[in-house]
Amino acid sequence: MKKKLISVLVSAGMIAALLAGCGSSTPESSPASSGAAAAAEPAESADTAATDGAAETSGSGAAGHTYAIVTKAAGNPYMERMSSGFQGVIEAAGGTCIVQNPEAATADAQISVIQSLISQGVDSIAVAANDANALTAALTEAKDAGIQVLTLDSDVNAAARRTFCNQAGIQEVGQALIDAVYDLTGGKGQYAILSATSQATNQNAWIDAMKTIAENDDKYSGLELVEVAYGDDEPQKSTDQTQALLQNYPELKVICAPTTVGISAAAKVLQDQKSSVKLTGLGLPSEMAEYIGSDGAHSCPYMFLWNPIDLGKLAAYTSIALVDGTITGKAGDSFEAGDMENSPYTVTDMSDGTGTEIILGPPFRFDPDNIAEWAEVY
Amino acid sequence: MAGKSGRAISAAPKDGLRSRILSWEGALVLIFLAVQIFGVSISPNYNFTNVLREMPKYLAEIFMLFGMACILILGDIDISVGSIVCLSATMACFAGNAGAPFPVVVLVCLGIGLLCGMVNGFLAIKLQELPTMIITLGTQIIFRGIAEVTLKSGGSVSMEDVAGLMQMGKKLGPFPLSLFFVVLTAVIFSVLLNRTVFGRELYAVGANKTAAYYAGIEVQKDRFICYSLLGGLAGVCGIFLLASLYGANTTTGSGFEMEVIAMCVFGGIATTGGKGNLTGAFIAAFVIVCIRIALGQRNINTQLILVIIGAMLIISVLLPTISNGLRAKKQKR
Amino acid sequence: MNKKSFWKKITDSRDASLVLVLIVLLAVIEILSPSFLSFNNVRQIFLNNALTLLMALGMLCVMLTGGIDISITSILAFAGMTVGLLQKYDVLHNTLLLFVIGAAIGLCCGMLNGIVIAKGKVAPIICTMGFMYIWRGMAYVISNNAWASGKDVSGFSDFGKDGAAGPYLILLAAYILFFIVMRWTRFGRRFYAVGSNKEAARISGINVARTIAAAYAVMGLLAGISGALSVSIYASAQPNMQYGKEMDVIAACVIGGISMNGGRGSVAGTFLGAMIIAIIAKALPLVGIDAITQNLVKGIIILAVVSLNVFTQRAINRQNLGRREI
Repeated sequence: MKKKLISVLVSAGMIAALLAGCGSSTPESSPASSGAAAAAEPAESADTAATDGAAETSGSGAAGHTYAIVTKAAGNPYMERMSSGFQGVIEAAGGTCIVQNPEAATADAQISVIQSLISQGVDSIAVAANDANALTAALTEAKDAGIQVLTLDSDVNAAARRTFCNQAGIQEVGQALIDAVYDLTGGKGQYAILSATSQATNQNAWIDAMKTIAENDDKYSGLELVEVAYGDDEPQKSTDQTQALLQNYPELKVICAPTTVGISAAAKVLQDQKSSVKLTGLGLPSEMAEYIGSDGAHSCPYMFLWNPIDLGKLAAYTSIALVDGTITGKAGDSFEAGDMENSPYTVTDMSDGTGTEIILGPPFRFDPDNIAEWAEVY
Repeated sequence: MAGKSGRAISAAPKDGLRSRILSWEGALVLIFLAVQIFGVSISPNYNFTNVLREMPKYLAEIFMLFGMACILILGDIDISVGSIVCLSATMACFAGNAGAPFPVVVLVCLGIGLLCGMVNGFLAIKLQELPTMIITLGTQIIFRGIAEVTLKSGGSVSMEDVAGLMQMGKKLGPFPLSLFFVVLTAVIFSVLLNRTVFGRELYAVGANKTAAYYAGIEVQKDRFICYSLLGGLAGVCGIFLLASLYGANTTTGSGFEMEVIAMCVFGGIATTGGKGNLTGAFIAAFVIVCIRIALGQRNINTQLILVIIGAMLIISVLLPTISNGLRAKKQKR
Repeated sequence: MNKKSFWKKITDSRDASLVLVLIVLLAVIEILSPSFLSFNNVRQIFLNNALTLLMALGMLCVMLTGGIDISITSILAFAGMTVGLLQKYDVLHNTLLLFVIGAAIGLCCGMLNGIVIAKGKVAPIICTMGFMYIWRGMAYVISNNAWASGKDVSGFSDFGKDGAAGPYLILLAAYILFFIVMRWTRFGRRFYAVGSNKEAARISGINVARTIAAAYAVMGLLAGISGALSVSIYASAQPNMQYGKEMDVIAACVIGGISMNGGRGSVAGTFLGAMIIAIIAKALPLVGIDAITQNLVKGIIILAVVSLNVFTQRAINRQNLGRREI
């Protein structure tokens, strides 16, 4: 009879072993240890204590604080560069950094992660939102728990966060893209947009800005936007959509893809087909190096992006400033951002007047001259 | 505890305390306790308050567990529930923003869910030859498609007046309000499955559809009711999810179907029908949720958490074979 | 032997009715978007849906035994990510060897599926659901948030480039091979035997467990090859690649008349089913349907076609019954 217990023991034991196995695996970043939590729970694991010790000796303003960053999803190099920039600054300043990549690029998955960070009693959360609306409740809860909430890369409703680290002003991105379209079409002709998903906040804002600029300036009157297609950030669907654009609009001159997955899928289609249609948009240099060139053999003469590492760094400095009280997220606040190019940065009102933002700088142009160099960086 | 135990892991006699402890449900209780110890030992923040605070999003999913359990016991499956959650939450937001009072918003959410469930049920009984997986695959795309079309190019909607939702997200002491509703639903469904003719019919249908039909059970009517119930529960999930989102978008609820099915299966409900009970599924749901919370607080790679849950699932379904093998070996000796 | 009329021949055969559906579909699309059937378009249809077409063959074997496999795109991602990373970190650049590695990984994953299902007596959907989480998660874990992109896989991607013959040859070879194997070899016929009646198959000396395990191994093998092929065609390896597309493959098989209860289905049907899915994906953006409505339309078409299948089958059954009564 005793051996019949085996089955129960096997079940419990196997699962316990499984859990123990993963418990001992090193997490992506050091565990939480905010000032409050550390005081309340002095008995922490050994590695945390070591981190705390190191932090205390450095004596900087960030020491003893925990700063978290929540990316859009795991498995995305753009987000990885961004969080590495964030982590570098925080750790150099002596703080503890938590990097969390949600399991999927949805608001649902981000909620779980944010809730977990609230439990850990972090001091700040910087989040790249998957949806402008659906994180409001979780972020408000974080704010109520005394956590400094900021957004980077893509924003949420202004009431739910202190400020927004904007990679580039929406107007500037829209202007740069429409100018690129103007340049590549020669001032006249049809162009199409290949976007990410229909609810992608950033892409929608940039496309709207492009449309508004084109409508209000006679310079762009020769341009005709024939369609906004959605590739859902899937290579396969983006490929289908690009091919459909080429076929439906034989007069098409330019495709503008303001999304990293879409632009590389479109670039491959155009280059493989040796199409005369040119491509521009926003893309990662390392993904696009193959396709950028001014001759006929390359599909993309030039494109834009900002430095995701710098964006992460800016968010890190903003987090530190918010936590130590240097800024509160009001317009006019200003703070030092270490060795960053445009330091000190100033908080400004957003163009629609709903909240405040910190702008990293104008979008950066990648062309055949500099692409090789940047492809190594990100 | 009436109802067959989902997973035969021991040969103990069917009655008495020993069989209860040695049943899969008993093992689940032990595993649940083990997970609590594990949680406390790996995360300094794993405590009663925090776990309950992180729970509401998962609790919303757990509502669907009960309906899904009925569907699985019938030997059917429904993979459209995530899309139903999306559609009902979306419509509720639009109703709220159009100025409907909060009770109406709740009714819209439940109503849409019920309606979607009835569509599934209708198709399932009219196209009996088709596996329900394919039918609900079709409706999965269609329901989310309707939500996408309604949401237009923004793809996202936010509830303007959140006063009602805040009431739903409230806590009584440390306990979130939804926990009471989950427990209430669990009790209702437990009675329904174990103490009513309808519930026993589901087991009969799941065990042998043809035999059940000849025994005079209205198989198709039962299937229709179960799909409608699950749809309605997806609506309940939608409204409680809104209470922790304040808005909906085209990805809301994606992947929920698999998570709910995983909870049921881990709890001992067989997808082949006729086996398993609600108690097991209910405990299993909390085991999975607590593991997620504990590992989340330890900042484990989120994808690794999924690997762990996948492995747990496979080990748990392999247990009967393993324990049979062990027993056979012992008898040989 | 009474001669069947042309109409009866069509309604008698599911494959023929599928051809009919395909013709109607193509006619409607051709009207809405002239020159849909250009050489270029047809070529792109095959290229963009090579993965679905290829994996549908494996799903045919699995479904013939009465099972289902929803872990295929996770296996694809795991194999594809491995192939991509091997090139990214300059370990290996030999195209053939990379395909072999992808296939081997797929085969191992598939065999694991098969062993758990056949020997462990686990319901196929549950086992493959567990592995769906596991392999997808592993793809993320090994990627460590990096992608392999155009530059990393430049030599490898020539194989699957638009205009290269590679993917078409793989498809052609796979379909011819399966057509022969499923029809005329003992290995192929065993799947039908096991799916139609397990007990009868066992008594007639077929090793049922091994046959079932073989079906999943074949499926895994094809998923692994698809993983390498995907990296080659799209010149990119991302851990979330083809996420959720297993349902497209399953839908293709069901549209193609394969019974999920096992024992019934053909390579020709699989091909037609996969083609219908492929043509829908290709045509939706072309025929001027609003981008946001495309998913909705796709869902409705899938449900309509499978319902049509049911009604055709009912008609066939009624006809057969009628003939018998005479």
